[in-house]
Amino acid sequence: MQFSYEVKDSYAEVKGVGRLNMVAAPKLREVVAEVVASGSSRVVVNLAETDFMDSSGLGALIGCLKAARQAGGDLRISGVQPQVKMVLELTNMDRVLTAYPSAEAAFGND
Amino acid sequence: MTEILARRGYHGPATDEAIEAVHDEMDALWEDASFVPEMDRMTFATAVIEAAANIVQHALPVAEKPVELDVDISVRPACLVARVSAHNAREPFANDMRADMPAEDAESGRGLALIEALVTTVTFERQHGTNTWILTRESTPAQGE
Repeated sequence: MQFSYEVKDSYAEVKGVGRLNMVAAPKLREVVAEVVASGSSRVVVNLAETDFMDSSGLGALIGCLKAARQAGGDLRISGVQPQVKMVLELTNMDRVLTAYPSAEAAFGND
Repeated sequence: MTEILARRGYHGPATDEAIEAVHDEMDALWEDASFVPEMDRMTFATAVIEAAANIVQHALPVAEKPVELDVDISVRPACLVARVSAHNAREPFANDMRADMPAEDAESGRGLALIEALVTTVTFERQHGTNTWILTRESTPAQGE
């Protein structure tokens, strides 16, 4: 899985392309830790091109959410695809990780 | 014996690379068996990857030989069946076999609960140093798509 990020005016967007499984999960944690350490604690993880997520990937997102909140910010997700939506719903984590239609919309009203 | 309509498998060291290989085998399986409905593919593939990842992350070798992962996935007329095995492995710890959903802020421990939510039956077998998860999901070919 490939990750990239871009720091915007009011948030940082982390994009993941591929499968967010146990192989990719530690990489996501590293990328978000780097983004938060650089001073952007409002993070959107854009999952529009993430076609698969397992419980390790979900665990990494929760870890990243905690890291962002500890730094005084928040982590939101956008562009959630059907398989990822299913995993969020079955684990009841859709209430904790709020999904937005786009990265722009995630912090749009804050 | 139930008729097997399509079948794919993987056998090799229980490593990160094995997980990606199992993903690829399942993608190939759905190409071979394009009649399997999208919802069944999505749920079953997720359960198989969870079981394989559980082995790669938690299975400990019983002796010097490393743990090997073996995955056998078959499409049958009324169901999908996967046998996900850890060879040369110790018996799993009870904590690794918990199937209830952990607290919201937990960063691990959802794998087995997720597997149970995704498939029709989950069976665990241990025989001669091999732990095997047998996952089944009822599935009938999509009609008129």
